[in-house]
Amino acid sequence: MALKDVKPTRSELINLKKRIKLSERGYNILKMKRDGLILEFFKVLEEAKKSKSELNDNYEKALKTIAVANTVEGAIRVKAAAMAVKENPQITLNQKNIMGVVVPEIESSAVKKDIVQRGYGVLGSSAVVDETAEAFEELVDSIIRAAEIETTMKRLLDEIESTKRRVNALEFKVIPELSEARDFIKMRLDEMERDELVRLKKIRAKAQAK
Amino acid sequence: MAAVNTTGPAPYIYACTRMKVRKATLIPREEYMRMLNMELPGITRIIEETHYKAEIDELASSFSGIDLVEIALSWNLAKEYQKIIELVPGHLKGFTRSYLLRWDIQNVLTILRGKSQDIPQGRIREITIPAGSLDKNALDRLIAEDSADRIVEALKAHVLYPVFEREMAGAVESGSFAHMENELFKAYYTEIVRAAKGGVKGGHAFLQYIRLDIDTRNLMTLFRVKGSLESDELREMMIAGGTFSVEELVRLAGSESSDEIIETIRNRLNLDSFTEVLETFREEKSVHKIEIALTKAKLDQLDKLAKRYQFSVCPILLYLELKQYEVSNLRALARGKESKLEPESIGACMVV
Repeated sequence: MALKDVKPTRSELINLKKRIKLSERGYNILKMKRDGLILEFFKVLEEAKKSKSELNDNYEKALKTIAVANTVEGAIRVKAAAMAVKENPQITLNQKNIMGVVVPEIESSAVKKDIVQRGYGVLGSSAVVDETAEAFEELVDSIIRAAEIETTMKRLLDEIESTKRRVNALEFKVIPELSEARDFIKMRLDEMERDELVRLKKIRAKAQAK
Repeated sequence: MAAVNTTGPAPYIYACTRMKVRKATLIPREEYMRMLNMELPGITRIIEETHYKAEIDELASSFSGIDLVEIALSWNLAKEYQKIIELVPGHLKGFTRSYLLRWDIQNVLTILRGKSQDIPQGRIREITIPAGSLDKNALDRLIAEDSADRIVEALKAHVLYPVFEREMAGAVESGSFAHMENELFKAYYTEIVRAAKGGVKGGHAFLQYIRLDIDTRNLMTLFRVKGSLESDELREMMIAGGTFSVEELVRLAGSESSDEIIETIRNRLNLDSFTEVLETFREEKSVHKIEIALTKAKLDQLDKLAKRYQFSVCPILLYLELKQYEVSNLRALARGKESKLEPESIGACMVV
């Protein structure tokens, strides 16, 4: 707010005081929200670390089991067994609220299956195919969990960033400018009052001289 | 020039002797141990320099790398099996054909599954192995069909057609061919038992092999699904006609005590070859290791049968199985080296 645009009136001063009070209240609330979000973020961060390391472990395990399956059964039979899987995992996307931030809640079904549900016959396959299917089911499961946690973390980070920007804007821009305008109006009003006093004194002096 | 004797036992003796000669040309254990310590290019070179050169040269324009090795090995196996069918005489040919029907099940199911998932024809063709009664042309015709029903229709002359026809509707409705696959394998064993018991000379030896194969398959299933399935589901996966009845196997699969399972198998089978399998099970090693031990035990037992019934189907079956495991061992070496598995891990995946 440029000072030249400020009208040095009492009503403007009252308005400015109200706005400063509102800004300070908003600033305190946003600061608390930011701190709360940061606390939530650190909680999610721990979960994200766990899910990430679980995802990495499951990925390594899945790669190893498919390497063993390709070694034992050959890529041809592994591909044929993979073709047997008809039912795709189903994912339901819900929402939940963390301090006003809408984050996803992912529910999955038909990821982990038993040997009968997988679609290949037991008599025409071997145990390495079971082990590989199980490892990849676990991998898909951990990908879904990691996706939920990482999206939550990303949304929280975005919200922390925007809240931080608002807090900074209020702290370093809005409130100082409003305070400056308030001080300017106060100063102008005092000056105008002194001008008026001097003018009155001069008029009174002229009147007495006559 | 001496006349070739085409009657009497001579053709049988000739065919079985040729099987022994072919068996002697298979890669020996020491060679596998040497290959375990070699790098992938060395292994590929050895594969190229052995019986697999023709297939590698033939397929080199279409495939490359490890896929070329694997597909060439499979093609060689298919060609070798077709040669054996041509080579064996009389009743042995019928038995061998019956035995190889298992490849038809695998190929037809691969085609049905590929079609149901809209996999391109070329990719389906890559993963079929024409080692059974359906040769490459027959499989190509099936792959070219545009629906699962038409594929089954095209199999009308096949011995397993009634099972395909009966199970097709259920498979399409449920979207899974698992039940059909299990039923086909059970029908396969029923069919080969029927062929062995058909009053043909030599059927007794074939029947002994079938019983051994059913026992091995049932034990693999038992160890694999133990404690994870309901009795009804288990019953569906067990094959009748072996040493153990289906009910016995279901009861064993439900047993909590490993000792009870081991003792029951030891007492009923009474075969030295299976002792190592039972020890592997007792040590609670992975199911995959138990399966490898079971396969080794089966081959060991089949070797004994082939020695006992020298001029029967047993030496032929022994060669067919050993050839299949040679292919799978070479593939294991190539794939294992490509995936950078430790030599010990690759060795554990091989049947040597």
